[in-house]
Amino acid sequence: MKPRIAFFDFASCEGDQLQIVNLEERLLELLQHVEVVSFREAMKEHSDNYDIAFIEGSCTRASDEERLKKIRANAKIVVALGSCATIGGINCIKNYRNQTEVRKEVYGDKYELFDTYLARPIEAVIKVDYKVPQCPINKEEFLSVAKALLTGQKPFIPDYPVCVECKMNGNVCVFEKGMTCVGPVTRAGCGSCCVNEGAICWGCRGLIDNPNTDAHKEVLEKYNLTPQEVMNKFKLYFGWSDTNAQKPQS
Amino acid sequence: MKSRVILKVEFPHWIASLIKTENVIGIKAKEAGKFHFGKLRSSGELRLDYDVAVLPPKKYLQPPKEDLLSYNIASFKVTPSADFQPITIIGVHPYDMHGINQMDAVFSDENKDTNYLGRRKNVKIIGVDPVKASAWSFWHDMGTAYVDKGFDLWLTDIGDRYFIEIGTKSGENLLKPAKTESASKIDIERHKKARSGLKNICSPSRRIKTDIKKIPDIFRANHDHGLWEKRAKTCYSCGSCNLVCPTCYCFDVREDMELNLTGGRRVRVWDGCMLEEFARVGSGENFRKERSARFRHRFFRKMVYMKEKIGALACVGCGRCASACLPDIADPVTAINELSGLED
Repeated sequence: MKPRIAFFDFASCEGDQLQIVNLEERLLELLQHVEVVSFREAMKEHSDNYDIAFIEGSCTRASDEERLKKIRANAKIVVALGSCATIGGINCIKNYRNQTEVRKEVYGDKYELFDTYLARPIEAVIKVDYKVPQCPINKEEFLSVAKALLTGQKPFIPDYPVCVECKMNGNVCVFEKGMTCVGPVTRAGCGSCCVNEGAICWGCRGLIDNPNTDAHKEVLEKYNLTPQEVMNKFKLYFGWSDTNAQKPQS
Repeated sequence: MKSRVILKVEFPHWIASLIKTENVIGIKAKEAGKFHFGKLRSSGELRLDYDVAVLPPKKYLQPPKEDLLSYNIASFKVTPSADFQPITIIGVHPYDMHGINQMDAVFSDENKDTNYLGRRKNVKIIGVDPVKASAWSFWHDMGTAYVDKGFDLWLTDIGDRYFIEIGTKSGENLLKPAKTESASKIDIERHKKARSGLKNICSPSRRIKTDIKKIPDIFRANHDHGLWEKRAKTCYSCGSCNLVCPTCYCFDVREDMELNLTGGRRVRVWDGCMLEEFARVGSGENFRKERSARFRHRFFRKMVYMKEKIGALACVGCGRCASACLPDIADPVTAINELSGLED
């Protein structure tokens, strides 16, 4: 019997699920191996009977927790999709600010009607088996994780910095081009796609497991960034793991 | 070694005719004043006045990612991947030629590496003596300013002409469309002079202050020196020093299955001993868990182990590791001088 898979979303732009729809004819090929029982962005049917749950988005409300726990209870395997779900993503920028002000800014004078709390990756609420990082996810990496799960293997997600892929691609280091990036502490796997196109690494895949962030902060200051600018580099995607950000009371 | 000369006015015509008949890779300008080896489309792109290439020409012999074989688990069929296109690389510097010669030794030792050797057989090399050096280069002191093997042709700028050493028969064949002349006494004198001036191209601040023959013993004696821990404190474990090195050859092997879940490819990709996962084994243990252990290992590999294995220091003085290292801890010059007790 084909494994039954389901997609869910929390606070996010749904860009990761869009990447899956963007697989187009290859999505049909994948469907030869799996049965999709829930995928709000692509179909109207829904079932709570599934083996693998793919979850996009971060948890930003107490009420999200109940839904997440239900998914966890239903699924044998939970896979987090994208930056918001795996590392909290840019949603965690709000964790640096006064939460009442943030709510007022978004919901105006009706802010009290809208429930919200510190943004967090879904791992802060439920056990996650595998993570597909990036903003948005890389279709190829999603397929590689799916293939690994279908063949009973452990998915391969690199635990080395983006520098590895930049070097493999023969890129001139952004620091040599008068710019700075967070590639030296960011998990690779994107193929250094942003730097390949002349941009910088913003860190959307999150930190590697053992990043030397102290060393990188020193380097950024050596390259004339102010302490505030260095902080901002780390706030964009690394907010959840940053000790300067507010943490939920446990 | 046989030699010829070619006038610089004739040189572009020769390169243009090579581009017509060969798959030519040449040294070209990249952004931010850097250079790289890439497909040469016209003779005008060739920049033999370069200082150093971002990546060594190693990438054409051991590509960052290559297929080893393809398989089908339904039919139990395995096909080795052996698609080695002939290429001609123009503009290899002596230190990089030393790097390739070391790779030749490594990949034909014990386990003969089919892919590397198959590719190597199809690569012709036209080397060139440097006229510039990067600020990080120190090949003047690593015994790699000159090279006497591995190439098919070797060029030296001697004013209005290039002096050409002919290394192989296929090198001689590459010269067929070129309008060359036999080297005169003056040409030979100029060549000698250009060669003797090579050692003055690297900056004097990049001097190795000890006799390089002593390097392996100096490192052996300093296995527990404080330098490893001190420098590794700011090490990213990003592997940049490994990946830009002309003598690093480690790789990882991965499986890439097709979506039909029956066919697939086995690929190998560059790896580096500075990466945290490099020395993790099946049981989950990591036998070089500390940054300092990995950091020291890279240096010992270059300065001690490879000397024992192939008889040459695996540091050719290109300075790429030092230049690629943002926290500036990878520089062999300062490490060798510090361990020799001869730093400033």
